[in-house]
Amino acid sequence: MATVLIENLTKIYPPTITYPHRVQALGGVNMSVTGNVFVAVLGPSGSGKTTLLNIVAGVETPTSGSVRAVQDGVPAQVGYVFQEPRLLPWRTVLNNMLYVQDRKSDRSRREAEFYLTMVGLNEVAHLYPSQLSAGMQQRVGIARAFLVNPDILLMDEPFSHMDALTGRSLREYLQRVWLHTRKTALFVTHDVSEAVELADRIVMLRPGGVVFDDIPVNLPRPRHPDDPAVRAVEGEVLRRFDSMEAAVRFGAQAG
Amino acid sequence: MLTVPSVTPDAISELSAREMRRAVVRRWLFRFSVLIGWTAFIGVWYLFSRLVFNPQQLPEPHVVATESWTIITEQDVRTHMQASLLRVLAGFLLAAVVSCGLGWLIAYNAWWRTLLRTIVQFTVSTPIVALAILTLVVFGVSSLGPIITTAVVATPYIMMNVAQGLTGVDRRLIVMSESFGRTRSQIITGVLLPSSLISVLAGARLAFAVAWRMELLTEIFAASEGVGFQIRRSFESYDVRGMIAWTVLYIVVMLIFENLVFRQIERRLQGRTA
Repeated sequence: MATVLIENLTKIYPPTITYPHRVQALGGVNMSVTGNVFVAVLGPSGSGKTTLLNIVAGVETPTSGSVRAVQDGVPAQVGYVFQEPRLLPWRTVLNNMLYVQDRKSDRSRREAEFYLTMVGLNEVAHLYPSQLSAGMQQRVGIARAFLVNPDILLMDEPFSHMDALTGRSLREYLQRVWLHTRKTALFVTHDVSEAVELADRIVMLRPGGVVFDDIPVNLPRPRHPDDPAVRAVEGEVLRRFDSMEAAVRFGAQAG
Repeated sequence: MLTVPSVTPDAISELSAREMRRAVVRRWLFRFSVLIGWTAFIGVWYLFSRLVFNPQQLPEPHVVATESWTIITEQDVRTHMQASLLRVLAGFLLAAVVSCGLGWLIAYNAWWRTLLRTIVQFTVSTPIVALAILTLVVFGVSSLGPIITTAVVATPYIMMNVAQGLTGVDRRLIVMSESFGRTRSQIITGVLLPSSLISVLAGARLAFAVAWRMELLTEIFAASEGVGFQIRRSFESYDVRGMIAWTVLYIVVMLIFENLVFRQIERRLQGRTA
C-alpha cells in the first residue's frame, strides 16, 4: 500500500537578483495520504501546490520538515503529469512513452500501446509531438505517467492550459485510466469543479503554504460535472474556499 | 436577415485545386528566377572578361568549363580532390571532438567560459592568411599542417554552438526526466544531446564552410598535393584558366557535400522538432 506522509514541510526560496526577497512557498504542511485514493490539493496561486508536488517527486528539496513516499516500506515509484506535456519533440509518441521505462522490451512496448489505447491515441503512436494537438499531447503525458506503473501518481494542474471542452474530455480520460489502475494520486488544481469531479478527498492550501481544510468527497464514480450531487459538494467546497479567502484577508488586515 | 453562404464540397475541392495550382506556379516561378540569376551572373562574367579585363586575365566561362572538363578527364583530379577532402574531414572531425568537450565546459563552468570566449575572439579575428603562413613555419610542407590549422579555425564555431545548444536545453525536460528516475547518462543521451543537436549542426555547417576555405589556403602554402597545391602550380605557370577551373571544381564538390550531407540532416531534424 502506498503512503505519502508529509510532516511540518517548509520551503523558503532565497532572494534572487530579479526578486530580492525570501519567498515562503510552504509554511509547515502536515498531511498524509494512504491507500488507493485520489486526493486533490486545492488552493489559489502562491499557495505552494506545485512546490509540494515537486518535493514529493524528489525534484526539489525542502527547507525543513520531511516527506516520506513509500510503498510497502520501500521508496515509492512516482509518475508525474505536468502542467505542460513535457514531451521530447525529437521522439515519436511511442518513443516518448518508452523513454521513461527502464527496460526496452516487447512487453514494455505492449504496455505503452495499452496505455495509449486507454487515452485513445494508439493510432498516432508513430507521430511526433508537434503533429498532435495540445490536448492529445497532454493525453500522452497522462499515459506516460501511468506507464511506469507508479505507486504514487502526481498531477500538477494538467488541464489548466486547455480550453473547457478539451479539459472536460481529458478529465474523462483520466477518470477512465485511474479507475482501471486505482493508483494513489495527488492532484494539484485551483479549479473547484475539477477537484470535486475527480477526488476522494480535497486538501485546501491557503497562501503561504498551510493546510486550511480537508474535505472528504463521498460520491460514486464515474462522476459528471452536471450531476446535482457533484454540484452540491462543489457549492460546499466553494463556501469553505470563500471563508478561507476571508480568513486570509482578515489575517492580512489584522497583521 | 442573416444569410449563410452555401459552401458545397465541390466548391471546397475547386478552391483547394486552385490553391495547389497557384503553389505549383509559385514554385516554378522561383526556380525560373534562380535560373535568371545564374544566367545574369554568367553574362556579367562574359562582360567583365571581354570588356573590363582580357581573356588572359579573366577567361570566359566556356573556357573555364572546357578546362574543368579537361582536368576531370585528363589530369589526376581524383588524387588531389581526395587529398583535400580527407584533410578537410580529418580537420573537421578533430575540431568536432575537441569542440564537444570545450563547449561542455563553456556551458557549465564560468571560469572556462571567460577563458575560452577570449581565445575564441582572438582566433576568429586572426586573418586566416596569417594562420596559413604560421602553419608553413611550424609544420613545414606536410599533411599535418593543413589538418591542424583547419581544426583550429573550425573549432570556435562548433564549440560556441555546442555551448549555446547545451545552455538552451529546456530545463523542464530535465526535471521531467529526473521525476521519472532517469539516470544522469540517460538524461545526457536522451535530452541534452538531442536538444542541442540543431544548434551543433548549425555550428558544424559554418565550421565546415570555413574549413574548406582554410584547407585550400594552407594547401597553397604548405602542401605537396591537393587542390590548393594545383592552384599554386597553375598560378606559378600563369595558367589563370587552370586556377579558376580547379577552384570551380572545389566549390562544386563543396556544394555537393553541403547539400547531400548537412542540408539533408538539418531538414530531417527540423521536421521533427518544428
